[in-house]
Amino acid sequence: MNQSRACHQILRNRVKKSSLVAFGLLFPALFALAQDNSGPDYGDILQGFEDPSRWLTYSGDYSGRRHSPLTQINTENVSSLRPVWTFQTGTTTRGRGFETTPLVDDGVLYVTGSNNYAWAIDAKTGRRFWQYRRNLPEDLTYGASAPVNRGFGMLGNSLFMVTLDAHLLAFDRRNGDILWDVELADYRVGYASTGAPLVIDGMVITGISGGEYATRGFIDAYDPATGERIWRFNTIPGPGEPGSETWPNDPEILAKGGGGTWMNGSFDPELNLIYWGVGNPNPDYYGDSRPGDNLYSNSLVALDADTGELQWHYQFTPHDLNDWDSNHMPVLADIQWQGEPRKVVMVGNRNGFFYVLDRVSGEFLLGKPFTATTWAREIGEDGRPIVLNDGSKGCLPDPWGSTNFMPPSFYPELGLFYLTARETCATIVPEEPNLVPGQASFGGVVFIDPEQGSGALRALDVQTGELRWEFAYPSPTFGGVLSTAAGLVFAGDHEGNFMAFDAVNGENLWHYQTGSRIWGAGAMTHILDGRQYVLIPSGSTLTAFALPER
Amino acid sequence: MRTESISDQGRISLLQLALFFAAFAVFLIAPTATAQQTNPLASDPRAARAGGVIFRGQCATCHGADAKGISSIDAPDLTMMWTQPGMTENRVFTRIQAGVPGSIMPPHDFPDTEIWMLVSYLRSVAVTGSTGEFTGNSENGGRLFAAHCSECHRIGISGGSLGPNLGRITERRSQAALRSSVRAPSSSIGRGYKPIILSTSSASGVSGIIKGEDAFSIQILDSSQRLRGFAKSELLSSNRDIDSLMPEFPEGQLSDKQLDDILSFLHQQR
Repeated sequence: MNQSRACHQILRNRVKKSSLVAFGLLFPALFALAQDNSGPDYGDILQGFEDPSRWLTYSGDYSGRRHSPLTQINTENVSSLRPVWTFQTGTTTRGRGFETTPLVDDGVLYVTGSNNYAWAIDAKTGRRFWQYRRNLPEDLTYGASAPVNRGFGMLGNSLFMVTLDAHLLAFDRRNGDILWDVELADYRVGYASTGAPLVIDGMVITGISGGEYATRGFIDAYDPATGERIWRFNTIPGPGEPGSETWPNDPEILAKGGGGTWMNGSFDPELNLIYWGVGNPNPDYYGDSRPGDNLYSNSLVALDADTGELQWHYQFTPHDLNDWDSNHMPVLADIQWQGEPRKVVMVGNRNGFFYVLDRVSGEFLLGKPFTATTWAREIGEDGRPIVLNDGSKGCLPDPWGSTNFMPPSFYPELGLFYLTARETCATIVPEEPNLVPGQASFGGVVFIDPEQGSGALRALDVQTGELRWEFAYPSPTFGGVLSTAAGLVFAGDHEGNFMAFDAVNGENLWHYQTGSRIWGAGAMTHILDGRQYVLIPSGSTLTAFALPER
Repeated sequence: MRTESISDQGRISLLQLALFFAAFAVFLIAPTATAQQTNPLASDPRAARAGGVIFRGQCATCHGADAKGISSIDAPDLTMMWTQPGMTENRVFTRIQAGVPGSIMPPHDFPDTEIWMLVSYLRSVAVTGSTGEFTGNSENGGRLFAAHCSECHRIGISGGSLGPNLGRITERRSQAALRSSVRAPSSSIGRGYKPIILSTSSASGVSGIIKGEDAFSIQILDSSQRLRGFAKSELLSSNRDIDSLMPEFPEGQLSDKQLDDILSFLHQQR
């Protein structure tokens, strides 16, 4: 504070000394400088990929498609892609991953890491401008078991990051100083936060983790300037509220119903709707204490961006007993559907089905399995799954799911949805838990067959959900996907390979062994000084790739 | 100043005396309160059962319902941990309480009694080594081991590396399991010993055990005990549907008596 006052004093003195004429000459230059330094506004984020030197929000634009228009790296030359630099974070999460998507603006990368570290990095050299590390309490709850983070939100000169002790922070992006710090919820009860905040017009939207504890999930909107809360949507209804009829009539159970919102959402500015996935009901595996569908757990919710009010919901897994959170990136697209233009939202779900929904109304259009599953044969016309196996008849996809939060991508011209598929076999034995604040309450145990597990990158035809091609991995994988308009798909696997594929036929065109599993992260890409870079986090490193300079 | 003695001051006040005794009392109590080395519930059979309930609720998601771990998230097999040199109940207690920094293993502020219950449970699911008597002739067993086993199996500083290290093996495996491994080695092949035969344009029929693999490459220890890496694109053929590289030893080749001799020899190598 004192330092900044001193700076202002110096500036004022300098201005006094300068003549009016000089000021007149300098003014346009100063103005231009001020323009350059003001950082991106809402309009810039809204433009998405139009300025390819920027990547301003988690998926690159609000649609969640993670599909870049950049074409410098293409199917012909991708085989000569090579690392340009590697950034060593010095922090890691053994057992999970480096799950972030870097943001980039004006040649600077803004990156969050495990254990609530964060950095500003020179995108050209990989050298760091500043590092932030949050002083975390020692008694973290959910945050201790998943000390990860998926990235910043950005607006102007502010960055927004959530923390493992369930706070939302605003940073000055020039030096990493904290501008404000607000508590989302009490971490001691079981809350934490790990997603990348979604910045829309005048609001920072964030979700919360903690569905493994006796918590109640929510989605919040905050004022970017002050950190003041604008609205909150509770994912588990209160007594008497719509949706409460899908739970026992017991305020205690509702107050601990779970429904985390720990993955990012997408946004349709025209409809002014936010699309956000909701996680498992609590307890995870034990359902006898919560008969009913348990809305809005395992659902996609569409919220009015101004008020946070629910416009519609779709529940993928009613009365979930398998910890199949629906915390996925909702992918928005305008496609031809049975001959008519249709605004849709697509989700590759942890329950093993790929879904297409009308994103105006929430109407169910398509649900098709993309992994082997005996859970449900099909999704009925009413949008409800026809459940064949509640787990008592042999194994199901494990609680990590047929896919998970690792971002998928959508290639509009090809009509293909790319996602990481996990083939697993788990048996769950439910057991009534004690609900103790601050203690996880899974409500059962899981047996995962170690001999049955594999993964694949799969390309699904969004019109039918049918498999167009796949590339097999030796083990169930958590790496995300990026596609580019040059006909490429970039993906990472559990063995540490970062790979490029022909988007049309799945042919592997390039791969690079990063040395650690790629977990939770999808690649991002941007242009800097005319050169296209592709970045992937892996283990405790972030590596930038580009074509050789001519 | 800090080394100034009481006698230098010339007199001892009542307060100082009281403080001295208070400090002495703390000294007497402290060792039992902070340096508990063994599980106070060790003799209570209910502890393991209660610990099992806590384990299933709080630990099984990562360590597996059977405590055997989940390798994809680096969660270790807890049934094997007691075989690690220097592993004590006190260390396990501390690990549960403090967590493993830099990993997804969090600290736990459970009451001490509950942590000891978990320790009791983990003791109860620990792999059981050989419990019965070893009645064979270990000297003869040593000769048989040198002749039949040591080319591939190591004990201490001598022996091969194609098969598992058999030092202290009777602490980890029962006699029945060890007999079965000798008579029918293919019935259960551990991770890191899965066999493969592969061919490239320059090498045909290379047999070995798979040490690692990704979508593009495979890493093996070949049967001549040489580490070799191959790009999958250079493989002309590969076959994993084969028996263990360890030969079977049927009774005609190794009598029950001789097998007992080998087990006695192994049991001696502790």
